[in-house]
Amino acid sequence: MSEMNDYNARCTRFLHAQPHMQKLGIRLIKAEKNAATLVLPVQSQLISKVLDTYLHGGVLTTLVDAASSVSTLCALERFELCPTLDLRIDHMRTPVQSQPLYVSAECYRVTRSVLFTRASVYQESPSRPVAYAIATFMRPGDGNTDSAFRAMIEGGNDAATA
Amino acid sequence: MQQLLDLVKQAHVSGDYQPLVDLIPYARVLGVQCECYGEEVIFRLPARPDNIGNPTIPAIHGGVIASFMELTALFQLTLQLPQPGLAKIIDFSLDYMRAGLDRDTFAICHISRQGRRVGNCSVLAWQERKSKPIAQARAHFLLDTDKES
Repeated sequence: MSEMNDYNARCTRFLHAQPHMQKLGIRLIKAEKNAATLVLPVQSQLISKVLDTYLHGGVLTTLVDAASSVSTLCALERFELCPTLDLRIDHMRTPVQSQPLYVSAECYRVTRSVLFTRASVYQESPSRPVAYAIATFMRPGDGNTDSAFRAMIEGGNDAATA
Repeated sequence: MQQLLDLVKQAHVSGDYQPLVDLIPYARVLGVQCECYGEEVIFRLPARPDNIGNPTIPAIHGGVIASFMELTALFQLTLQLPQPGLAKIIDFSLDYMRAGLDRDTFAICHISRQGRRVGNCSVLAWQERKSKPIAQARAHFLLDTDKES
């Protein structure tokens, strides 16, 4: 689990396994040790013709939760399905609906029981953040991650292709 | 914006808030529904395959639960504002307490303070019973959005 490509493959398989990520077309841009960047593409199902003030109404929250969760995959030696304990988002400016929404998340601390992440959401440039978020995740403990699901996410020779 | 104001007015008269909810594209994607019981408004997120995040349990995506609760607060505030307008979120903080299973989820928003500029909300989400919440959230919204860019 030292190749950057392994992180990419693992995160991509994780996103593919989640119906809601498929529904929104959320995909991985980049994965590296402890960090991942995702994108929410512009799509007609999220465009409002009536309101142009508050555009993504809640979908930013889903994107942030997803990215924070994906960043934990890049911080653990083996895949563990970690439930979110706490998520906090500060909104700095309103995103526009005509541009994709990017989020870069970093898992900056791993303990025996808890993972800590931070994320920033942006559109045209990372230096103009739309929102910041911090989250914590619980590690499930040995034997509490579904072994078939783990094998599927980690890939490997005998795992079914996602 | 005029269409929003008209919809809020109509909703208050008819008691049917669904057209207002359908105005937000993501609320439609999630399938959020709104039910009024007297003055109490309860929001419902019906179980649907597209909202699953964890296929092993299966459980609703954590972000879906969070967004649903954020939208609940937004709609509740919009309904209560003396001058209808869409409030703008400042921050959102969520505790996940139990896995959201693949079944209907309900949420209710309590507005603890509604000032001139800021509204303080707390939201509770549950599935089988209210006394066993799956998540609780706190949010602040900016109310006089016309004056801010």
